[in-house]
Amino acid sequence: MKVSYYPGCSLEETAAAFDISVRKVCDHLDVSLEEVPGWACCGSSPALKMDRLLSTSLAAHNLALAQGQQVEEMVIPCPFCFRRLLSAQQETQATPETREAVQEAIEAELDDSLKVHSLLGFLRYTVGLEAISAKVQKPLQGMKVLTYYGCYLVKPASVTQYDDPEDPVSMDQLLEALGAEVLPWDFKTECCGASLAVSKSETVCELSGRIIREAAYREADALVVACQLCHANLDMRQTQIGKLHGTKYHLPIVYFTQLMGLAFGMPYKALGLGRHLTNPKEMLKSKGVLQ
Amino acid sequence: MFRLKGKIEEKAFLDQVMERSGQNLLECLQCGKCSGSCPITSQTVGGPRRLIAQILNGMQEQALKDPTWWYCVSCGTCATRCPVEINMYAVSTALCEMAAEQGIEASEKGIHLFEELFLKSVEKNGRLREITTVAAFNFRMGRPFADMAIGTKMVQKGVFSPFAMLRKGHRDSRVNRIFQKIRQQQKQKA
Repeated sequence: MKVSYYPGCSLEETAAAFDISVRKVCDHLDVSLEEVPGWACCGSSPALKMDRLLSTSLAAHNLALAQGQQVEEMVIPCPFCFRRLLSAQQETQATPETREAVQEAIEAELDDSLKVHSLLGFLRYTVGLEAISAKVQKPLQGMKVLTYYGCYLVKPASVTQYDDPEDPVSMDQLLEALGAEVLPWDFKTECCGASLAVSKSETVCELSGRIIREAAYREADALVVACQLCHANLDMRQTQIGKLHGTKYHLPIVYFTQLMGLAFGMPYKALGLGRHLTNPKEMLKSKGVLQ
Repeated sequence: MFRLKGKIEEKAFLDQVMERSGQNLLECLQCGKCSGSCPITSQTVGGPRRLIAQILNGMQEQALKDPTWWYCVSCGTCATRCPVEINMYAVSTALCEMAAEQGIEASEKGIHLFEELFLKSVEKNGRLREITTVAAFNFRMGRPFADMAIGTKMVQKGVFSPFAMLRKGHRDSRVNRIFQKIRQQQKQKA
């Protein structure tokens, strides 16, 4: 199966571990990812905050680039890029004036032909649990994990139209298909502080701190994420958060695609697992996932 | 919901926010579900319910200086839970654009600077150069060694190489042109 692939800026730089594991896992599932030729930034949160037309135009520019790929479906791992591209499609369909202004800015005609998927949604619903479990060689038995979806994948529901915005289950089902035990909790879509990562790190420490504290209380072996910004906030700030709480946390934060890769029998390093600040190696060894 | 009091131009402010954002703020029930759900509402950041109340009551100056919309991370929680489906981050964008047009100084300088540097990087390179942008931000904020411990660990783990900052970006002229085209459109409108 051939799909258009839009990695987004972070996956090219600080979240390369996500990109590496996505490509490996998709390849293993016979999904051929065709990178959008010459893709650009979707505008992310700064464009969305500062300039509506710029934000919609940058996202639509990428939709127009993908139109030339002659594929019907587009897969996006980054939840914010996913929401922005999908939203640009909806905004330009809903309002003729917006469509006209955007098409003028990007000097291209939009044909609305693409079906935009989040990577998680694509793997869970299009590839499906059956195809995924058929590839499992090393079930993640004995691993107790918490799933953390963050905001942008599911909210606002009017845009993403994906899963339940308060209690999503798609990642839970996917990890259960890999043999892991998924623990229940109420923090699946609580905010980690998102784009305040650098400019208001104290707010991030407070918000991500609530998530880490709850995950530690639930005695999870790992927190599994689907977003590189959530990953950055929860992984990189964990030492700082521990200091604020007067304790030391050691909660591995991993991408769901990395756990898929491990269950498919791929080596630890090839999935970028050695790049996280919260080292998951000891935990994986203690669970028998790694030798 | 809008109470007929105050000056005529104050009603104009409400109309402008509603038109730009596409959100019918007159439907707001002031129920407070948004602020109760909002991750960034705090003792110092008023939150969406209060911000809507300011707009409905024509308090233009307060609304355009309110830190709420600078802090807004567009998580979409309020929009998901709002009984009348007001999309608050669309309101944030409207207020941000209006404040910029009126030359009102950003109430949250740090957040503003980061977002500006981010877009500059995109305009220049077509894609964001993350590490370079973060380094530029910390330098401009007068704290060049902020998060040095995290940065050092990232380099050790091979997350990024400090030399990557020296390489040139992609330089995507098409993206640069989109920025210019939009500036043209906005000039014509004004």
